[in-house]
Amino acid sequence: MVQFALWDILGFLVGAMRWTVLLSLIAFAGGGLMGLALLMLRFAKLPGVGTAVAWYVQLFQGTPLLMQLFLVYFGLALLGWDTSPMVAASLCLTLYASAYLTEIWRGCVMSIPQGQWEASSGLALTYAQQMRHVILPQAARVAIAPTVGFLVQVIKGTALASVIGFVELTKAGQMISNATYQPFMAYTLVGLMYFALCYPLSWWSQRLENRRLA
Amino acid sequence: MSNTTPSPFALVDIQGLHKSFGATQVLKGIDLQVRRKEVVCIIGKSGSGKSTLLRCINGLERFDSGHLAVDGQALQHGNAPAMRELRQHVGMIFQSFNLFPHLSAGRNVMLAPSLVKGLPKEEARTRAQTLLERVGLGDKFDRLPEQLSGGQQQRVAIARALAMAPSVLLCDEITSALDPELVGEVLQVVEMLASEGMTLLMVTHEMAFARKVSDRVVFMHQGLIHEMGTPDEIFNRPQTPELQQFLSALRD
Amino acid sequence: MIEFDFGVVLAQWPMLAHGLVLTVALTLASAVLGTALGIACAWARLHGGRALRSATSAYVEAVRNTPFIIQLFFIFFGLPSLGIRLSVEVACVLAMVLNLGAYACEIVRAGLQATPKGQLEAAMSLALTPWQTFSRVVLPPALARIWPALVSQIIIVMLGSAVCGQISAEELSQAANLISSRTFRSFESYILVTLVYLALAMALRQCLNWVGPRFIFTSR
Repeated sequence: MVQFALWDILGFLVGAMRWTVLLSLIAFAGGGLMGLALLMLRFAKLPGVGTAVAWYVQLFQGTPLLMQLFLVYFGLALLGWDTSPMVAASLCLTLYASAYLTEIWRGCVMSIPQGQWEASSGLALTYAQQMRHVILPQAARVAIAPTVGFLVQVIKGTALASVIGFVELTKAGQMISNATYQPFMAYTLVGLMYFALCYPLSWWSQRLENRRLA
Repeated sequence: MSNTTPSPFALVDIQGLHKSFGATQVLKGIDLQVRRKEVVCIIGKSGSGKSTLLRCINGLERFDSGHLAVDGQALQHGNAPAMRELRQHVGMIFQSFNLFPHLSAGRNVMLAPSLVKGLPKEEARTRAQTLLERVGLGDKFDRLPEQLSGGQQQRVAIARALAMAPSVLLCDEITSALDPELVGEVLQVVEMLASEGMTLLMVTHEMAFARKVSDRVVFMHQGLIHEMGTPDEIFNRPQTPELQQFLSALRD
Repeated sequence: MIEFDFGVVLAQWPMLAHGLVLTVALTLASAVLGTALGIACAWARLHGGRALRSATSAYVEAVRNTPFIIQLFFIFFGLPSLGIRLSVEVACVLAMVLNLGAYACEIVRAGLQATPKGQLEAAMSLALTPWQTFSRVVLPPALARIWPALVSQIIIVMLGSAVCGQISAEELSQAANLISSRTFRSFESYILVTLVYLALAMALRQCLNWVGPRFIFTSR
């Protein structure tokens, strides 16, 4: 059995953690843009569109992320596209994030008093102008804390990408565990590293929420 | 210095009671003895310390100095079992009723006797039914508080306090939160309790009621008992300008 | 043209049923135990001494800031190094209970903190002990207050249990894996199982919203 120095192990894990961070950012950014688009569609008062978005959200919130990953992975293969786990995971997590973010933001928009909609339409603004200049700026203030909180969810979600073969922090942990026969150490280190990524964001989200309510 | 020799006939014996909230002194030395079966109404402006005094008697507020004893037993704040023992003899009715929203009227009344006195379920139930009938709500056993009017809720609260067979009832502005047309039904119940010999200590703004039912009226002003006497003395022959001012403001 | 063959996958329904039963069992066990743990921790965070409060906070933050799969791997693969060897099912339940417990703690704590002061004063005036006040007066309305959030969290844990297939628990996602490898129809297998999860999530929500008002919110 080859002895691995703790330093080597940490180096390997930190290397893998970069992929966790990258995947999280891709999903969060892509999901954010898509979620915003879905949000605009949701409130646009087009027939059937609102319901379609609601179903889209229900689909992602009512099924396991793991299943979603498998479906995207095998689905892309079915379509003949030879995709890497990275691409499949990025796509899936982007869609996942878009569904959750659009729902979070929908709640924030709903919290804006009806009077704001009435006043701005009374000033003859178009829907797009209403959203851009009146509704979204106010909703954004409410949305910051839960959105930051959701980023934590995305980071934790990337751990499942390991199951379809993507080498991020969790997969790296499994590899270390198998190579060193020390699962306790391996998973403790991995846990601590996820904690280091997530806890500051959780703390910040809580602070933003406290500030908003104060 | 306060005089701490207990009065032999007092059910509630208060001597030299002081209480501050932070920098504000709310009770500046209260002396009051309430006899068994006596009905005492406490009146005064808001901020005069009336509710605080009442809440000191069953320990919801901790007083800073002085002597307070109920039925010969001095209050022991740090001693939780002693405080619970005290509260079995001192009942309280609140301005906002504070009924337990998840329990029916009957179960509200049953809860304390079965938990604290260990009464078996059936006995607690019968007792609750009897008490509800006594306050005129015999048919409301299974109703939830949200299904009852304010006056009905307060009457259930009275029944709930009576279920513990207290020797003295503290009433903290029990009709202040009620719509005017519901006040009468609650005061009727209190009058009935008074006529049956319950010792009552009531903070109230209902002057007509105080005049009619109380043995003694206490006027509090800025943390002290300013005047005390029979209803006739207090309402018809107020001695101090503060009481005269208070009563004339009410008449307007 | 892509050809789908759901028939061959549906023929494996016994395996599917077996997985479904285990997922439901895992969920119910962890819902009950996890909620109890959450209530205990919420109480500890509000009424416990300094040490207990810190310990509970540390537990809650540790669970909420790490992925469930790592918690599961730690319990199943890591604990044997300390001499604690658990069966697959026990490890799954333990991981799910600890996971739900941390989230439930925060949810229940918010519910408890919203208790109107008058309720506590009324209970005190009736000479109830602190435990009687907590269990009969404070807790039932608090649970009613936070029930939707708690139900949502239980569903999240149920969906998260799909990961248990990774340690070969014979639950629903593992059934999908097995059916997929047996029939060589991966996409159909996972679609089917995903739909079962979706139906299960909806049914679970209905069920818990039925149970809550009848058994939990009222005091015995």
